[in-house]
Amino acid sequence: MANILEVKHLNKSFGRKPVLHDISFTVQKGRIVGLVGPNGAGKSTIMKTVLGLTDFSNGEILVEGQTVTATKHTSLAYVGALIEYPGIYPFMSGLDHLKLFATGDDQNQRIDEVVTELRMTKYIKRKAKSYSLGMKQKLGIALALVNHPNFVVLDEPMNGLDPESNKDLRNIITNLAKKGTTILISSHILSELEKLVNDVLVIDKGRIVSQSSMRNLMNRGKKYLVIKSADDAKAKNLLMAAGYELADGDDVRILETDAQKLMPILKIYVENDIEILDIQHQQSDLETSLLTLLANDQVTE
Amino acid sequence: MLTLIHQETFKLMHKKSTYFVSLFLAGMIILFGVLAKLYPNSFDPKSMFNINFTGIEWITFLMIAASASIVAMEFQYGTVKELLYRKYNRGQVLVSKWIVTFIYSLYMYVLALVLTLVLKVVLFNHTFELGKLSGSHTVIENLLISMGSQFIGLWLVLSLVLLLATMFKSSTVAVSAGFIGYFAANIAASLMFGLIGKWEWLKWNPLNMLSLSTQVMTPSYREFTKLTVDQLVMGNLGYIVVFLFLGYLIFKKRNV
Repeated sequence: MANILEVKHLNKSFGRKPVLHDISFTVQKGRIVGLVGPNGAGKSTIMKTVLGLTDFSNGEILVEGQTVTATKHTSLAYVGALIEYPGIYPFMSGLDHLKLFATGDDQNQRIDEVVTELRMTKYIKRKAKSYSLGMKQKLGIALALVNHPNFVVLDEPMNGLDPESNKDLRNIITNLAKKGTTILISSHILSELEKLVNDVLVIDKGRIVSQSSMRNLMNRGKKYLVIKSADDAKAKNLLMAAGYELADGDDVRILETDAQKLMPILKIYVENDIEILDIQHQQSDLETSLLTLLANDQVTE
Repeated sequence: MLTLIHQETFKLMHKKSTYFVSLFLAGMIILFGVLAKLYPNSFDPKSMFNINFTGIEWITFLMIAASASIVAMEFQYGTVKELLYRKYNRGQVLVSKWIVTFIYSLYMYVLALVLTLVLKVVLFNHTFELGKLSGSHTVIENLLISMGSQFIGLWLVLSLVLLLATMFKSSTVAVSAGFIGYFAANIAASLMFGLIGKWEWLKWNPLNMLSLSTQVMTPSYREFTKLTVDQLVMGNLGYIVVFLFLGYLIFKKRNV
C-alpha cells in the first residue's frame, strides 16, 4: 500500500543537544499508527517536524510524496493536527474557532457533524475561556478533524478526556480509518492505544527502537498459560519438577514456548488427580511489551 | 492569502477590544472637540482641528497595542501551531497579519478624519473655513498632508513593534518598547539634534525619521533634521521595509 508519510534519516538538535537521531519510518495510507515512548523521547518533536512547525538539521520528510520543511508545506493542505495542547483564542466561542478554520462550501455541515460526534453541542456557542480542560481538548480534536483531512496527527489527544469521551474519540478514529484516513497518534494511555492502533512506532531517546504491527509487538512479549486448579501449590511443584518454567507468584503461570504442547501439562494434572478449574492464555499487553522493549533498549544518549 | 486575511479579520472582529478601541477613539475626539468649543482660549479650535482633536495621538497608542497583540497573541495562546501547520507558508501568514494591521490603522485614520470633519461642521461651522488658505495650502489640505505624514511615522513605529512582537513572542515587550521609543523620540529630540549637528551622518537614524510630520507642518525644522521632506519620507519607508523584513526572517526561522 502507498505511504502517506515517509521520514528519512531525520536528525535534529536543540542548540548542541541532539534530540532526534537518524529517524526513519513510513506510515501507510489508511493505517492507525501509534507513536509511543517515554517522556522526552521525541514524540512531539517528530510530530512537529512532520508538520513543518520546527526545522531539522538534515534528513527528508515526504507527505503524499511531496517534501515538507518548516518553510514549505503545500502538501499539508489535507492534514489535520492537534499538537501538545489545543491552541484556543479565549475571546472566541468553540463554534467561532471551527468557523475560522473550516474551509469549503459544506463547512457548516461538517462543523455540525464534528460537534455532534464529539458531543459538544451544549457549550459550543460559549466563549472558550470558560471551557474545562476536557472541553478545550475536544475543541482541539474537532479543529483537527473538521476539514475531513486525509492524514490526521494527534499528539496526546486523550489528555483530560473522561472515559465516555475517550470511547467517542476511539470510535471516531476507527471510523475515520475505515473511510481511508491515515492517523498518527501518540498517547501515554497505552491501554487506549492498544484498542486502536494497527502499527506501533517505539521511540526512545530520540531514536526509533521498533516499528512493527501491533500484533508483532504483542507477540514479542512473554506469553503464559494460566491454569487454575484445586491445589495450585502441589501443581507448581510437579510442574517445576517436570522442567517447566513458571512465573513468580502464587498462581500457576507457565511460560509458553513455541514447541510447547498442552497435552503433557494436562497429563501431570490428571495423573496426580488435581482438579483443573480454568485454563487461560495470557498475552502481554502493550504496556508490558513496551516496558520489556525499553528495558532491553541499549540506546545510549 | 485571501483566506488568511479573512481569518485575521475574523479574529479581530471577535475581540471586544476592537469595538472598545473605536468607541474610545471617538469619545476622545468628541471630548476634545467639546472642550475646544467650551474653552476656546485653552483649546484653540483651529489648532485642535489640525491635530484631529488629539485623535491621531490616541491612534498611535492604540495601534501600538493592537499590532503587538495581533502577532504576540498567537504565541501567547499557542494558536501559532494551528496557523503554521496548514498549507500556507510562513511568509503568507505573517504578511496577512501586516495587511490586516494596515487596514485597521487605515480604518482608524478614516474614523478620526470623518469625526474631525463632523465636529468642524457641527461645532465650529463659523469659527474657521476649510477652504481658506493657510500658508500655501487650504486648512483641509493641511489636515490631510499632516495626517498622511503622521501615518507614515505611525508605520515606522508599528513596523518596529511588529518586529519586537515576533522576536520576543510577547506583546508586553513590544508595546513597552513601542511606547518608550515613541516618547523617547519626543523627549530626546533636542539631544539628538545636538548630536546630528556634530556628526551629520546621524541624521539617518530612525528616531530622526519620526520628525517627518513636524517638518511637513514647520519647514524650518529642516535646520535640525538636516534632511528634506522627501528624504525623510524615503528614510521612513526604508526603515519600515527593513524592520518588517527582519521580522519576516525571524518568523521564518522560529520553531513553534
